[in-house]
Amino acid sequence: MSLSRRGAMLAAALSLLAAGEVSAGEALDRIRSAGVLTMSTDPEYPPQSSLDPATNEFQGFDIDVGREIAKRLGVDIRFVTPGWDVITAGRWAGRWDISVGSMTPTKERAQVLDFPAVYYFTPASLVVHEDNKTIATPADASGKRIGVGVATTYESYLKKDLTIDVADAPPFTYQIDDAEIRTYDTDLLALDDLRLGDGVRLDAAFTALPTILDAIERGYPFKIVGEPLFKEPLSVAIDKGDPELGAEITRIVDEMKADGTLARLSAQYYGTDLTQ
Amino acid sequence: MSTLADLLDRRDARLALIGLIVFLLAAAFPWTVPGLAGLPPVLARLVGGLLVAGLAVANILVLRRMPFEFQVLLAWAELLLVFALFFWSFGLDYRFILANVPGLLGFGAGQAFLQGAVLTVVICLVSITFATLLALVGALARLSGNGLAFGVATFYISFFRGTPLLLQVLLIYLGLPQIGLTLEAVPAGIIALSLCYGAYMAEIFRAGIEAVGRGQREAAASLGLTDAQAMRLVVLPQAMRLVIPPTGNQFIAMLKDSSLVSVMGVWELMFLARTYGRAEFKYMEMLITAALIYWLLSAVFEVIQARIERHYGKGVRP
Repeated sequence: MSLSRRGAMLAAALSLLAAGEVSAGEALDRIRSAGVLTMSTDPEYPPQSSLDPATNEFQGFDIDVGREIAKRLGVDIRFVTPGWDVITAGRWAGRWDISVGSMTPTKERAQVLDFPAVYYFTPASLVVHEDNKTIATPADASGKRIGVGVATTYESYLKKDLTIDVADAPPFTYQIDDAEIRTYDTDLLALDDLRLGDGVRLDAAFTALPTILDAIERGYPFKIVGEPLFKEPLSVAIDKGDPELGAEITRIVDEMKADGTLARLSAQYYGTDLTQ
Repeated sequence: MSTLADLLDRRDARLALIGLIVFLLAAAFPWTVPGLAGLPPVLARLVGGLLVAGLAVANILVLRRMPFEFQVLLAWAELLLVFALFFWSFGLDYRFILANVPGLLGFGAGQAFLQGAVLTVVICLVSITFATLLALVGALARLSGNGLAFGVATFYISFFRGTPLLLQVLLIYLGLPQIGLTLEAVPAGIIALSLCYGAYMAEIFRAGIEAVGRGQREAAASLGLTDAQAMRLVVLPQAMRLVIPPTGNQFIAMLKDSSLVSVMGVWELMFLARTYGRAEFKYMEMLITAALIYWLLSAVFEVIQARIERHYGKGVRP
């Protein structure tokens, strides 16, 4: 038996195993029978998701969208908080059913997760310390030290390696060349480092505009550079292998778009409609 | 060379050297504080450096005349004061800190059972128990003449000492479901911590057992004790005395390493500190508070360790 034949048989056996693991509709059945939708969320990202220290309740745009989805599925919602890279690694093993976590549906992520519904678009902006006088346009930041969250689309953009894997993704161009990329555990750590002063550790940071606006509102001494560099579609994610759940999520999110619920929540948290 | 050594034997020369070192360290700061900000930069550094060096030297001169206990107390008080001044310079929101201390400890409003510092302590207590058992078995296997036991023990110790704890946590949490075993986050964290620290502690236990003199075992044998009895009744109780201090060390290290399990969404102390801080963009406040809580916990366990040491040290006090 040649090696390639053996490899093919192994692959076939593995695919059989995989098919045995997750049968269609299993996740949806589990949610319905338990009466609970378990949603993963990373509460280090206000205004999308954070934990109110006074009440220990989750709050934010993603949280409310998740609550609404659960309500329309006719079940309760429960939140779990694995790390972002654990969420994006896929293979959730049924620990949680859904991520409403402002996730960009990239090609790499689509290999391990399904993206049944884009629920809003967020502009990605470059931000500098208010004392900065050299970076007036995004192109001025070429070759400069720019801070981003690790494994984010912002890092991919700076590496010129960003592929967004949905049909209606708005087109964009790469405007920053050869940035000296500094990665952080979360985007907000980059903002904290930029806050130390212009050029102290970073010359600029690159993240979601709503996050930047929230930071500025809390007194971070920043100014935004030019227009957003790209608009990224953000999607609900589910584990591979349950198209029934995917179809149900698609239906519900479409419904929430049509009846204005999503636009209302966006206005509440971002002051503007980001769902179009 | 000998002249330098002679010089350092003199008290005043040592004091002058300390003064010089403190001056150089202090002069390394830019000294843009109010009062000195108007001066030219070099002069500001000079004045600042002299000020701090003078204070340090005067302080040593005063401390020299005091008895030991006062020296210790004052050294602690002064270092704490310097720490407090450092934190005070951040301009922290103390009301926010106070409001969130109960939450960080695990007694906040709306919190489920077992969160924050309480959860950290529980995870560590359970893990150190399992780790101790693993370490004992590992050390005995490592010392046994059985090739299989020796092989398994050395492989285990080598792997878990040789790979990062975070990786072990992720392997257990994400890897085991691939073979059909889906663990909750807290048990997965406890298993990872137990396995990792068990490997380190196996070496501590081995060293402790080997340090008990050979004659002890021979004496036990001559009294008619079996090998197992000799180990349990003679060697281990004596090894405990040597094993306790480094084990206490491991436990305190584990208190802090346990924050790694937050990647699985365990709401221990560090997770809550980061999350609370993020919600209000008051990160430093929560990090410093968490640091103080970890420190206090470590201090408590240092006291407990001293107690246990005294218990097992009974036999050897002169």
